[in-house]
Amino acid sequence: MKRKLYLGLLVGLFWLLRGSEVFAQQTDHKKSGQGFEHVHALAMDAEGRILFLGTHTGLFRSEDGGKSWKKVTLSAKHSHLDIMAVAHDPRDPKMIYVGTHEAGIFKTPDGGTTWGQANTGLGGLDVHGLALDPNVPSKLHAAVREKGDGIYRATDGGGKWVRVDDGPGGEVKVLTSVNIPTGMGGIFLYAGTSEGLQRNPDCF
Amino acid sequence: MGGLPANRTVNGFAVDPDNPKVMYVAMRDGLFKSTDAGETWRRTGGELKNLAAVGINPKKPNEMYAATMDGKIYMSADGGMKWKKQQ
Repeated sequence: MKRKLYLGLLVGLFWLLRGSEVFAQQTDHKKSGQGFEHVHALAMDAEGRILFLGTHTGLFRSEDGGKSWKKVTLSAKHSHLDIMAVAHDPRDPKMIYVGTHEAGIFKTPDGGTTWGQANTGLGGLDVHGLALDPNVPSKLHAAVREKGDGIYRATDGGGKWVRVDDGPGGEVKVLTSVNIPTGMGGIFLYAGTSEGLQRNPDCF
Repeated sequence: MGGLPANRTVNGFAVDPDNPKVMYVAMRDGLFKSTDAGETWRRTGGELKNLAAVGINPKKPNEMYAATMDGKIYMSADGGMKWKKQQ
């Protein structure tokens, strides 16, 4: 009876391992065969030299106007990152921020050579929009979905985030600070959403 | 915000850094441009459709880039009127 049980367990383990191997092969094939798969964001650095593309399969950069692309590695820890937002500092071409679907916000101070996470204070890690204030680039707003959803603000280049608003209705696809004074001491935040384009003064 | 297709998803958004009242919206329906901070919109970009994102070269705001949802990249050198596929 015991021998039969062991044999059954061994056969079950074999099929389980074989199944996971086949699944891994299919996943790799899917990744390599479909390039970007789905594009979420596009932005150019402050010098107008490098294009960044945020996609379902990661962050890519192009130095020839989008004709050829190289993948940018943000983190050795995260093998797959879905890049939802890309924002660049208008005064410092080497300072770039990205928002990801699963690991929050990453920031590079050196044009993409080294990256660090900048998530302190965020209630969740599904970041769908990231906007730099063009007048004060250390002031950012981030749109978070699902857990801890809402609009967050950092005034120190992403060092510490504070939730400031519930955010617009619908799913945020893109968030941008636009240098149009509100008359109340701030400028306007524009959000592209699943319910259209919405705008709000950024002085929450 | 008259002139944009109603109740449709806005996937991408870009602003002219020299004149922030000039802005662009990327949608499944194509590319739309406003010159009055979003009060009114008109379609531009010819036959471009299924757009996921749009971007502007901050040094040369007439140079624009657009990406379709499936990853095709287009470039315009005339502020979004004519577009050329890049790959």
